[in-house]
Parts: sequence; C-alpha cells; structure tokens
Amino acid sequence: MAGYLARRFLAMLPTIVIVLIVSFFLVRFIPGDPAAVMLGPDASVDQIEQLREAMGLKQAIHVQFLRYIGRVLQGDLGHSILFHRPVAELLVLRAEPTAILAFLSVVVALCIGIPAGVLAAVKRNTFLDQALLVLALAGISVPAFLLGLLIMLVFAVQLHWLPSSGFRSILSSGNIWNIRYLLLPSVTLGFGQAALIARLTRSSMLEVLQEDYVNAARARGVVERGVVLKHALRNASIPIVTVVGFTFAGLLAGAVVTETVFAVGGVGRLVVEAVLARDYPTIQGIMLVVACMYLILNLLTDATYALLDPRIQYS
Amino acid sequence: MLRSWIHRSPWVVALILLVAISGVVEAQQYGGTLRVATEGDPVHLDLMIVTASNASTIGQHVFDTLFVLDENSAPIPLLLESYERSEDGTYVSFTLRQGVLFHNGEELDAGDVIASLRRWLEYGVRGQVMAPHVVDILASATDKYKFSIVFSAPFAPMENLFAWNNGGPCIYLQEVAEVAGAEPIAEADYIGTGPYKFAEWVPGQYLRLVRFDDYQSPRGASTGYGGQRNAFIDELLFIPVPEAATRVAGVRAGDYDYAIRLPQDLYPDLQANLAINTHLLTPPSFMQIFRNTKKGLMVNDKLFQAIRMALDFEPILQSTYGTLYELNGALFPPGSIWYSDAGTELYNRADPEAAMALAREAGYNGETIRYVVSTTYHEHYNTGTVVADQLTRAGFNIDLQLYDWATVVQYRANPDLWDLFSSGHGPVPDPTLITCLNPNYPGWWDTARKTALVDEFTTTTGFDERYAVWEDLQALLYEEGSMIKTGDGYILNISSAERVGGIDVEHQPALLFPYFWNAWMK
Repeated sequence: MAGYLARRFLAMLPTIVIVLIVSFFLVRFIPGDPAAVMLGPDASVDQIEQLREAMGLKQAIHVQFLRYIGRVLQGDLGHSILFHRPVAELLVLRAEPTAILAFLSVVVALCIGIPAGVLAAVKRNTFLDQALLVLALAGISVPAFLLGLLIMLVFAVQLHWLPSSGFRSILSSGNIWNIRYLLLPSVTLGFGQAALIARLTRSSMLEVLQEDYVNAARARGVVERGVVLKHALRNASIPIVTVVGFTFAGLLAGAVVTETVFAVGGVGRLVVEAVLARDYPTIQGIMLVVACMYLILNLLTDATYALLDPRIQYS
Repeated sequence: MLRSWIHRSPWVVALILLVAISGVVEAQQYGGTLRVATEGDPVHLDLMIVTASNASTIGQHVFDTLFVLDENSAPIPLLLESYERSEDGTYVSFTLRQGVLFHNGEELDAGDVIASLRRWLEYGVRGQVMAPHVVDILASATDKYKFSIVFSAPFAPMENLFAWNNGGPCIYLQEVAEVAGAEPIAEADYIGTGPYKFAEWVPGQYLRLVRFDDYQSPRGASTGYGGQRNAFIDELLFIPVPEAATRVAGVRAGDYDYAIRLPQDLYPDLQANLAINTHLLTPPSFMQIFRNTKKGLMVNDKLFQAIRMALDFEPILQSTYGTLYELNGALFPPGSIWYSDAGTELYNRADPEAAMALAREAGYNGETIRYVVSTTYHEHYNTGTVVADQLTRAGFNIDLQLYDWATVVQYRANPDLWDLFSSGHGPVPDPTLITCLNPNYPGWWDTARKTALVDEFTTTTGFDERYAVWEDLQALLYEEGSMIKTGDGYILNISSAERVGGIDVEHQPALLFPYFWNAWMK
C-alpha cells in the first residue's frame, strides 16, 4: 500500500505542471485588464497604461511566466492584485469558512441522505419510499439560491434563531460559537447533496439486498437491522464514498452560489471576485491549490476503498 | 387648583416634564457599532486612484479633502481656514486650519498637502483634469500652514475638483504621498485626518474603522458633507454582502444596520416597512450610450441622431431604476445650479419611424451596429437590453455583445471593436468632470468647437459667465456629441429605523456617498 501511495504521489507531478502552465496562459487569454478594474470606470486609457506598467503587466509574457514559475518553486504563489496581500495568505483566510462549510454540508448530507436512502430501499415500493424519492427530487431540483433565501427568511428574519449571513473567523477570534454563521449555508448546501446521496444509497442498497450473502445472513438468523446496517450498507457504501469524495472536493473548491447568498467570504467567492477583477496571481494560485486538492482527495478516496472492501488491495 | 397641585408636588411635575422631553428629543449618544452591508469589498482605499463608489463611501471617513460639498452641492472649506485668488485668477493662496491631526498624531501642514496634490496631479483619476493647467505648487517660506498654486490661466473648477474625493485629492501624510506612484498605497498608509481611522480589513468578512478620538472637526452647522462632524459611533463595520436580497434580509433580521445599493423595484415594499428608513441618494446618477466617433458607422452624426430619435427612454429607465427615475435630458438634475434644458428638445423623441427615415438619409443600409454592454452591473445590463430591443424594432441591425465589466473596459479602449457602448455616470459637482468632455474617454469626442468651449468654460470665472458657456456646451453635446443620456435614476439604500439615528432624511440629506458621522446607535 505504501508503495502504491508513493507512486500515486509521483504521478501527480505532471498533472500539477500542466495545471501551472494552463492556468497561467488561460487567464491571460481572457479579455480584460486588472489595472482598468482597479482604477474604476472613469479612468482614462493613459492612466490604465500607467498602472499596467507599474504592475509589471507590460513585461513580455515569457518573462512573466518564468518569474511566476520561479516564485512557485520557492513556495510563493504571488501577490494578489485585487487584495494587495500574498495569495497564500488570502487562501488561508478564505479556506477557513469554505472548509468548515464543506465539512458541515457533508455531515448534513450524510446524516440525511444515508438514512433516507436506506429507509427507502428497505421500504421499497411503499408510500414512504415514494415520499422520500419525491423529497429527493425536490432537493436536487430546487436551486441553492432559492432554498438559501427561503431558509434565511424563516430562521433568521422571522425567527431570529441564527444570523442571516456573513462570517466571523473561529480561528482568529477563538470563538467557536461563530460556527452559527455557517449553519444555514450548510443546511442549504447539504440538503441538495443529501438528495443525491439518498437516491444513490437507495439504488446501491437495492442491488446489495438482492445478493446471496444477504439472504444467507438472514438464514443464519441475523436480525434484519444487522443485515441491513452491517452487511448490506457496508457493501453498498463504495459508490457513496466515491460521490462523497468528489462532492467534498468540489465543496472545498468553493460553493459560489451559497457563499454569495449567505455572504460567506470563502474560496468560491474569491474565485469569482478574482476572475471578474482579472486578478491573475489569485486565479492561478486557486487553480493550483484546487488541482492539488482534487488529486489528494482522489487518492484518499481510492485508499478508503481498500478499508471498506478487503478484497481490494493496492501494491 | 393646578397651581396648588404643582406647589404641592414639584418633583412629580419635574419627573413628568423630564419624561415628556426625553420622548420628544432623540438622544444622540456615543457608542455602538454600525454594520453596513455593502455590495462588495472595495479594491483599495487609495481614493486618489479609484472611482468605485464603495471606496469613496468608506474612505471619506478616513481621508479628508481641502473642500467638501454642502447640501447645495457647493464647495466649502474643510481642511482650509481660508483661501484667496489673485486678481488675474492665476495665483491662489491657501491657509490650512491649525491643529488638525493625522491618525498617527502628526499635525497636518502644507508639506502634506503639497505632496498629496503633486501625487494626485500625476496619478489621480481626476487629477488629469487639472494637471495641464497647473504651473507649480509652492510652500510658504515662513508659515507651515500656507501654500499656493500657480495656474497658467484662471481655473474655475478648482474648488469643485478639490471637494470631490472620488478619484480626488485626498490628503495623505507627506512621506506617504511622496513615494506613492501609480500603484495603490499600502493598508499601513491609510492614515488620514478624518473622524474615523482605519483599523482592520479582512477581505470577504469586513473592513473596520474606529473613531479617531483626536479628530478636529470643522465648525458650523452640518450641511451636506460640511460643517460639524461628530463621530458618535465607536466603530463602523463595512461587510461585503454581494446578494441584494441578503442585504435587505440582514437589515430586517438585525444583522446589519444599513444596506447599500438595493434593487429599485423593492422601494415600495421597503418604504411601507415602518422598521426601515429608505434613502434615495441625491443627486441622481444616469446611464449613457456612447458612440465611437473615431471609426465605424457612428462617425456619422446624422446616424447617431437617428439612434437617439428612436429611443423611448421611459421603459429604459423603468427597467433600470424601477419607479425611482425622472425623464431628464439635461446633464444635471433640476435644482442643481448647473441645470439647463439647452439642447434637450432632442431628448426622448421616441419616434422610430422618423428615426429610420433619418438613418436612411444618413446612408444607413442595415449594416451591423456593434453594441457592447456589461453584465456585471444590473443598470448597464437592463439599459442595454432594452435599448437594443427598441433599436432592433425600429429597424437597426444591432449586434448586442454582452461581457463582464473588465472585458468592456478593454474593448471600449479599442475603436476597432465597437460602435456603441453603455456606461453609468454618477453625479459630479462640476461639468468639467462629465466624462464625455474628456477627449481621451472612449467615444473620443474631440472637435474644435467642443475644445474651444471646454477651454472657455475652464478659464472663465464668475458663475453666470460659466453657466452661459455650459449651456452652449450641453447644446453642442446634443448636436455633435458622443453620448446619449437616458435619464436620471436614484440609488436606493436603507437603514434600520429602530437601531440607527441621525441618518433619516430629516437629519441628513441623502448623498451619493452616504456618511456616518453625526449618526448614532439608538
């Protein structure tokens, strides 16, 4: 297993190099200018050119690229044009709400989705099964921004139970109660994910519940609860783990719509702000970090298969 | 009987009077945090080189200018004690107020002002308007509070330009201004003389200003941005909330106290809500449609006149501003000292048949007209889509090109890429700040007649004389200019009536960049 993991790490390097090259040149193909965005709508062409010169944007493209690669190799992701601070510092700042949001959303999704999917599978073709399927369909169909605004109206505006929006850092303030800012967005995100997981769990469980070993377990006198949870669910969970892995990775890259609706300054909004402002260093830094994150999470997902299914062995 | 009752129980009477008075007079009190929901983080607070309104809204609490605008949009001194023009108008001497402190405790003197003005003239967005007319800026050899500016000719817009912090000459520390170039100054250099000082900025979460306890306020009754400034509130927290519905929900939920720039179609519901004060920022802003006078179809004056003739501005304004608009073809609103209806007989003709006839007369044969519009700002997008629809129905062949703002800014700088583009314009205190009068602004209106009138307007002193020239200039804009104005629209902000005092309409006229000195938390 250790050898397998080491080989997979090495295999990531070409991917990372490709991401570095593509991210650098791709953003520069997009029309638009960070200097113009920074100066605002009333700046003249001459002023924009003056600022471009000061920002080093008029250097030859290959010079800019080599300087960028040199900095990355030293662990420097550059300086944000929009926020005037190191990109790495910006990512750490924005990673906190995104990471917490992703984690809580997945917890919500699993806590709702898996029991719902198991129940739907066990009570197949009953009213409960149909009701859960309809609910799952609603969860997938309702746009996140609409759901978010609705639960904001109910729980924040009407009931005043939770803050409507915004975020305050838990790490820098030491106040764990600041997690309340992320509860409504987590439920918003998690609900949609729960619907997906519920449907996946149901179909996976239905397949597994047909298997001979499940019937054999029943024949041996294992109680139904044990058959479902210990034997069937474990075997049905491999596709669920795959989906959860990719979902979590995607959430770590930022849930733009939810972050926008709830004014959570996470990575998703940072991407949008950076693209709109043509903040090249920030866009490149995010693409690099997200690519690395996907690669690592992909690897961890594969490793989890081996834990769940002893028949899977990596060497 | 009443008299005897009062004699017998004076303390009860006093108590009753005290309760009555406290109910009538709203107590201004120190303390609290004002949470302002903005559209997003400002790009930075180096106000000299940015024209985004959220930067001005926040930065004006930190940085002062030499003049400010009063409630009639007339310039009055802020950092100045006095100033005087020579007889020929080319030499202006200034005396600063004494004892004004920067947030680091240093006293403001002429060195700070001169360095700031020099940096602004070279790199400031609005500095380019004044720079060609300035010969030199001189410090007094004997008095550190005095300085003077030498102009090549009388420069009438000086006070208005000095009063406008949006891309304007905010006063920085000398050591900051002297090394500042085209790039924004660092956060550590956000040291001004304003009633609030910069404390902290966590992008994506908040920008925090705290009261400057040693602030030296100007005297006099509060009028517009001028007069007495009391920093009652301890802390101002500007929180980026990109979604407008969330800003409204946040004020209603009690998470924010003030929200900026809301969709105008929410106005009737918000106005009916007793817990919310609505603020219509005045003077109004307006949308513009520019033509390319350098290359392409729109070099043809008659064709551009046809475009204007085809447009019905009322539905355009409704789509952009809801009910918060006025049909006004003048570049300044009624009530402004610069308001004139010169040329506006050509405004809002709304005659597509006549427009098409004029277009054919101009030689138009259905060629594609490229119309570039931004999707980033809803005013731009709403205006552009309705204009494109009206022109298409009139018979023009419109290629509506939708891009984000950064792309529009790049495209509009290239005369090969567009025929029309749309942009917004905020209110300005002086006609010299109208962007279409700048020959380098895309559209590139640069005729001999226009240049002569602008020069005359800039060097003419005396308001009546300037106004007469301004009327000619506005009429010329309608005759040959590069821009069509759609009409006036009002920005909508809201505040919590329950939590915030001092910024309802009676206390403070709503201004384009809302400020929070003289406001208090209830």
